[in-house]
Amino acid sequence: MSVRNTLQPLLNREKLTLQQKEALLGYALIGPAILLVAAVILYPVVYNVYLSFTEVPLSPDQSPVWVGIQHYETLLTSSAFWGALWTTVLFTFFSDTLATLGGLAAALLFNRTFRGRRLARGLMLLPYVAPLIAVAYVWQWVLDPLYGVVPWLFSDVLNLYSEQIDLLNNQLTAIWMVIAFDAWRYFPFAFLMLIARVQSIPKDMYEAARIDGAGKLAQFKDITLPELKYVLATVFLLRWIWNFNKFADIWLLTRNVRTLPIYAYQTAFASYEMGQAASISMILFVALMGFVLVYVGTVLEW
Amino acid sequence: MLRTILRVGSETASTTIDGFSAVLGSNRIETSLWEQIVFYVSIVLTLFISLFPFYWMVVTSVMPDGAIYSLPPTLVPQEITLDHYRSVFSPETFPFVTYFKNSLIISVITAGLSVVVATFGAYSFARLEYPGRGLFSRGVLMVYMFSGILLVVPLFQVVVWLGWVDSLQSLVITYLVQTLPVSLYMLGNYFRSVPAEIEEAAMMDGYSRLEVIFRVTLPLSAPAIVAVFIYTFMIAWNEYLFASIFLRNQAVYTLPIGLDALSSGFHQVWGQIMAASLMTSIPIIVMFVYLEKYMVEGLTFGAVEG
Repeated sequence: MSVRNTLQPLLNREKLTLQQKEALLGYALIGPAILLVAAVILYPVVYNVYLSFTEVPLSPDQSPVWVGIQHYETLLTSSAFWGALWTTVLFTFFSDTLATLGGLAAALLFNRTFRGRRLARGLMLLPYVAPLIAVAYVWQWVLDPLYGVVPWLFSDVLNLYSEQIDLLNNQLTAIWMVIAFDAWRYFPFAFLMLIARVQSIPKDMYEAARIDGAGKLAQFKDITLPELKYVLATVFLLRWIWNFNKFADIWLLTRNVRTLPIYAYQTAFASYEMGQAASISMILFVALMGFVLVYVGTVLEW
Repeated sequence: MLRTILRVGSETASTTIDGFSAVLGSNRIETSLWEQIVFYVSIVLTLFISLFPFYWMVVTSVMPDGAIYSLPPTLVPQEITLDHYRSVFSPETFPFVTYFKNSLIISVITAGLSVVVATFGAYSFARLEYPGRGLFSRGVLMVYMFSGILLVVPLFQVVVWLGWVDSLQSLVITYLVQTLPVSLYMLGNYFRSVPAEIEEAAMMDGYSRLEVIFRVTLPLSAPAIVAVFIYTFMIAWNEYLFASIFLRNQAVYTLPIGLDALSSGFHQVWGQIMAASLMTSIPIIVMFVYLEKYMVEGLTFGAVEG
């Protein structure tokens, strides 16, 4: 209605007021962005909902066949699906927690002046900045069962585990390697988010605590943690969202960890069951939204 | 949540506080020798964990095969060779240069388009009044919630239907739209920080709105534009998921899927893979060294998340 009011004068070929000109320019400038988002995000999201209720034929000329909730029923009774969901939660929880704690430790460590601080900070960001493909392959090589440095150190020298085990190709160990990889790659993100907040805690709070006789640990527990509570919770949430949806990080390191995104990808592009895959990504999305809502309500207290 | 992200930008400001405390020496005097030792050991350990894989990448890429495949591993190379780089750059063995070129073309086009579309859009959100503005700007941010894996099946159907398999535009458009919400947000915030009085003064002098945008606002917003360019470039440079399904023909592969094909096609070619990985990292690392402060903002928005 209001849009029409704005456009009306133009149609009547009357002279436009300055305000109407501004509004027209506003629509013209935002137009391309809105159209692109509608075509490449909103339409596919809605289309994905539809596809999840259909059987998609291989040939693009045929249209999808409606099958109702069949795909969802298949999933809820399949152990592969529940296994993938559990793997996703396990992976997300541990990689998120480790990355957040690692970032916190690094932020506390860097909360002082020392020679080379700027350089050290820049170097520490490298795992996060470097292209995924490059760091994933170094990790593959470092973990190589025959000539990798890590198996050599931990198995041959320290004898911590049997040298028969190929860390990335063993169902039990592969997930922990992926967790370690993600924590290593993403702790700089938590560091970046936390360091600013850590530095803004007034120094005299610690001063006062010291005068009252509080030790380092008490200072951390009673001053640092409460001050960081919300930013920590936010970092954890952002990482949770990103890690829950992670595909390439896991896929490029090993093919032996099957989280929901990987399960959806394989279903769509290895088994060519597009409808089934659409239902997996729908459940992934709904599960994530559910978590976010509960988290925002309880932890962030919005 | 977004406010917390933005607060990170103030890190540069808080180093001033560090400067003061360094002058006053408040940190130095009270720390004992023991604490100093623990501190420096922790710093060295952190950097070792962060950097060892990169050291290993460089070392492996310049070691002869004999030294790469030996036990115990050769931690410091005795002999240096450029053989792996030679085979990476010779088109008969591995089309690395083609992949590199494809990735560069896609990333630069995406980043350039993103700057244009996001600049106009963000200016519209930040400065112009019209009905529906609030709805649009909130709606665009909502899009940030949809992940690649949710879009991959329907987008693949659309791309097949359009006959855009193996075409670069399918990837450019996908990356452009995926990065739009953050680009709009970053630029919009920056535009709002430019005092409106400057623009009004220019309009008093007879500039039209568009002239104001191009002659006043854009030159003042160069840092934000650079940040958006880098952010989009990094996403496009790294992206694997969409590239792996939109591209079938080796000739149009981007670096991530090209390297993936190389590593699954051959065995025991770690020297070459490490050389190729290093070459893939170089554009990003060069940007990081020269443009760190512009890059950090994009990083806090998840410039490397796919």
